[in-house]
Amino acid sequence: MPLSMVKTGETQTVRKVNGKDDTKKFLETLGIIKGEQLTVLSETGGNVIINVKDSRIALSKSMATRIIV
Amino acid sequence: MNIKIALAGNPNCGKTTLYNAITGSTEYVGNRPGVTVEEKEAKLKWNKDVTVMDLPGIYSLSPYTSEEVVTREYIIDKTPDVILNIVDGSNIERNLYLTTQLIETGIPVVIGLNMIDVVKNNGDSVDTAKLEKKLNCPVVPISALKGIGLKEVCERAISTAKNKNISDIKIFSEIIYDYLRQIEDLIEDRKLMVSKKWLAVKLFENDNNILETLKLDSDKKSVLEKIIKSAEEKFDDDTESIITNERYKFIEKTVSETVKKNSKQKLNLSDKIDKIVTNRILALPIFAVIMWIVYYISVTSLGTIGTDWANDGVFGDGWRLLGIGGEEYEKASKVYETERIKIDAFIENARKNGIEIDALKEELKAEEPNSSIINNFIKNTKNITATAKIENDDGNTGKNINVDNDAFAAALEAKEPNPADYGVWIPGIPLLAETILDSFDASDWVKSLVLDGIIGGVGSVLGFVPQILILFFLLAILEDCGYMARIAFIMDRIFRKFGLSGKSFIPVLIGTGCGVPGIMASRTIENNNDRRLTIITTTFIPCSAKLPIIALIAGAMFSDESWVAPSAYFMGIGAIILSGIILKRLSVFKGDPAPFVMELPAYHFPAVKGLFIHMWDRGKAFIKKAGTIIFVACAVIWFLQTFDWSFNMVEAEESILADLGNILAPLFAPLGFGHWQASVATVTGLVAKENVVGTFGVLYGFDEVAENGAEIWGMLQTDFTVVSAYAFLAFNLLCAPCFAAIGAIRREMADYKWTAFAICYQTGLAYIVALLINLYGNAFLFSQSFIAPIIITALLIVLITFIFMCSNKKTAPKTA
Repeated sequence: MPLSMVKTGETQTVRKVNGKDDTKKFLETLGIIKGEQLTVLSETGGNVIINVKDSRIALSKSMATRIIV
Repeated sequence: MNIKIALAGNPNCGKTTLYNAITGSTEYVGNRPGVTVEEKEAKLKWNKDVTVMDLPGIYSLSPYTSEEVVTREYIIDKTPDVILNIVDGSNIERNLYLTTQLIETGIPVVIGLNMIDVVKNNGDSVDTAKLEKKLNCPVVPISALKGIGLKEVCERAISTAKNKNISDIKIFSEIIYDYLRQIEDLIEDRKLMVSKKWLAVKLFENDNNILETLKLDSDKKSVLEKIIKSAEEKFDDDTESIITNERYKFIEKTVSETVKKNSKQKLNLSDKIDKIVTNRILALPIFAVIMWIVYYISVTSLGTIGTDWANDGVFGDGWRLLGIGGEEYEKASKVYETERIKIDAFIENARKNGIEIDALKEELKAEEPNSSIINNFIKNTKNITATAKIENDDGNTGKNINVDNDAFAAALEAKEPNPADYGVWIPGIPLLAETILDSFDASDWVKSLVLDGIIGGVGSVLGFVPQILILFFLLAILEDCGYMARIAFIMDRIFRKFGLSGKSFIPVLIGTGCGVPGIMASRTIENNNDRRLTIITTTFIPCSAKLPIIALIAGAMFSDESWVAPSAYFMGIGAIILSGIILKRLSVFKGDPAPFVMELPAYHFPAVKGLFIHMWDRGKAFIKKAGTIIFVACAVIWFLQTFDWSFNMVEAEESILADLGNILAPLFAPLGFGHWQASVATVTGLVAKENVVGTFGVLYGFDEVAENGAEIWGMLQTDFTVVSAYAFLAFNLLCAPCFAAIGAIRREMADYKWTAFAICYQTGLAYIVALLINLYGNAFLFSQSFIAPIIITALLIVLITFIFMCSNKKTAPKTA
C-alpha cells in the first residue's frame, strides 16, 4: 500500500518507489530505498512526517503515494 | 603554503557553526536545511595561510536544488586542497552517503564527526579508530557548538592536504567495478581535476552535466549506453538506483561494525512536539497565534514602548535616565494641569457673564504677558466664581473645585514644571543639535538642513530601531528552535491548493526580516516555476523596513489598535495566495508544484548568544542604512522641499518637491492619497522603504514639534482618512520593493524580462488592492456610493479573464 495510508506510529518496509525522476533520486539519497524501514511520526491529510535512518523527513501527499510499503 | 579547506556535509549538520567557530566569523546559523545558500570564505583563526570555505549543505553530489549546484561546482571545478566533511554523529548513516561520494572524487577528505556530545548523551558510541580504518581517512570527533576537537580537526585537515593522503576504499561490489573500469577506459582527456573513478560513476549514473562536460564522441557514447543497458538488465533496476543501493549497503556494513546504538527506541521530545504542532486541526491555529504574538510584541506592545522612547525621547524633547524623578514630574505636571483647568473654567464663566476675554487669552499665550491687562481682568471679575471639573485617570469627573477670583489669581501664578528639573534629564538630539548650532551662530538654512532634513528624516527612521531589534530577535528564535521548517510543512497543505509549494513559505518568512535574503532563500526550491513564483511574491510580506510604515499608520490613524500590524502581515500572505491563483493560470507557470520533500531538524533550545549576535547584526545593518542611503535621501528631500526652481527658500507648498509630487499625485488620487506629500513618500520608498517614513519626517518636520514627538501623527491625521491611510499602507507594502530587493530579484531570475514582469506585477497588484480598499472603504465607512467600486470590480474580472484567455491561446500546447 502507499505510504500515505500508513497509520501514525507504524513501521513499514519500503517495497518500491514509483516513478523515475529527480525527486525519486532525491528520496533515494535521503535513504528511502528498497528494504529500508520507515516509521510514520505524523500524518495530516496524506502529508506525512517519517523517520528514516534517524532523521525526520516531511513528505507531501503526492510523494507519499509514490512510496509503496 | 596556502591551503584551501572546503566544508562539505549534509544540510543542517553544523557546517556554518563550525565555520564561525574556526574563523571567528558571524555568519547566520539557523536550525533548518538550506540556511546557507552561497559560498563564503574566511581565514582560519590560528593560521592565516589557511582559507576555509563554507558551502551550502548537500545530500549528495547529484544536486537537487540550485544552491546544491554551488557546492558541487565548487568541489568539482575548483578542487579544494582538502574537504572537511562534517558528519552529523546523531544521523551517521545518511551523512556517510555523501562521504562515500566525496572520497571518490580523489580529493583528500577529513571527517569531522560533529555533535559528538549529543551522541554521548543519547547513550550511543562510535569507534572512531575503526571508522578511520574502514573509510581510510582521518575521523575526528568534534562538537562545533561546544568547541570540542576544533583545533585538532583543522590540524588533521592541514596535514592531510600537505601529504595529499587520498583515501582508496572499495564501496561497490566487484561486478560494478567491472562496469566502471570499462567506462574509465572511455574517458581520456581529463579537463576536470577530479578522479576518473568519480567521473566513471557519474557517467554510469547518466549524469547529464558530466556527459556534456566530457564531450564523449558518438562511438564512445554508444559504448557507454551499452554498458549501462547491460547493467540495468542484469540488476533489473536503473543504474542510479543500483549505485545508491550499493552505497547504502556499504554504509550499513560500516556502521554496524563501528557504531553502537542505545537499543531503547522511544519517541523523543521533537517527535512529541511535532505531534502537536503539525497536528491536522491544531497546526494552523498554533501558527496563526505564534505569528500574531511575534507581531504584537514587536510592533504593538513592547516595541511601542521602545519606539516611544526613541521617538519622543531621543529624537524628541528628551528623556529621563532610568526613569528617576519621573514620578515627581508626573505629580508636578498634574498639579499644574489642575491649575490650568481652573483658569479655563474661570475664563469661560467670565465670558458667559459678558466679560471680554480675547485680550486676556492673547496675553496668556505670550511669552512675556502684559501684567496690566491681566490685573485689569482680575479686577473686573471680582464677583465671578466657576466650577472646575477635575478628571480622574480613567476620564471620569473626579471632583469639582470652586474657583473664585482669588483662586484664579493664584492659579495664574502657577508655573509649568520643567522636565529637566527632575532626575537625570537627557535632552533630545534635536534640542542638543539646536543648542550647538546656535552656539556656532549657524545660518537658518544650515539649521533647517540639520534639524528638519537630517535629524527629522534619519531620526524618524532610527526611532524604529527598538521595534526592529525585537522583531529580529523573535524571528531568530523561531528559526533557531526548529519551528521554521515545520511552518513550511504546515503551509504546504494550504499553499498546494493554490498551486504553490510550502517551500515558498520559508523565503517569505525570512523576507519578514529583509527581502534580499528572502529572495535568495528561494534557491532551495527545486522547481523553476515554483522558484520564479516565489521570487515574485516574497516581497509582499512586510519586511523590517516596511515596519516603520505600518507602525506610523497604525499609531497615527488607528490609535495603535492591535489588529493593524498583524493585518498587514496577513494581507501579505493573502497577496501571495492570490498571486498563486492568478499566476498559475498563466501558461508559463502551469503545472503542479514539485512534491514537498524536506528534512525536519530536531527541536532545540535557541542559543541565547546566537540570538543576540543575529539581532545585533541585522540591527546594525538597519542603522547603517539609515546613516548612509537614508541620510543622503533625506538631505535630497530636504533640499527639494526647501527651495523652488530658482533656488529661493520657500514654503514646502511652493517647493520643487511639491511640483514634482503634484505631477504624480493624480496617479494616486484614485487610491485616496492624491496629495503631493504621499506621492513623494511612495516614490522615495523605492530607494529604501524606511524612506517613506523618513520623507514624512522631513516634510512634516520636527521643527514644528511643540508638545510631543508625535507631531507627524497630527499632520498625517489632517492629510489622511482612516480609509486612505490603509490604502496608502497597502500600496506601499505590496508595490515594487526597494532597489536592493529589485537587484536581488534580477540576480535570482538572471533575466531582465522576468525582473520587469515581477516589478510590473507587484506594482499593478498593489494599485488594484489599494484602489479597492479605498473605494469599498469609503462606501462602507463614509457611506459613499457603491456604484464605482462595483463597476471597477466587474471591469477587473473581465480584464483578468481576458488576459487568461489570451495567454492560454498563445502558448497553450507548450509544457514546461
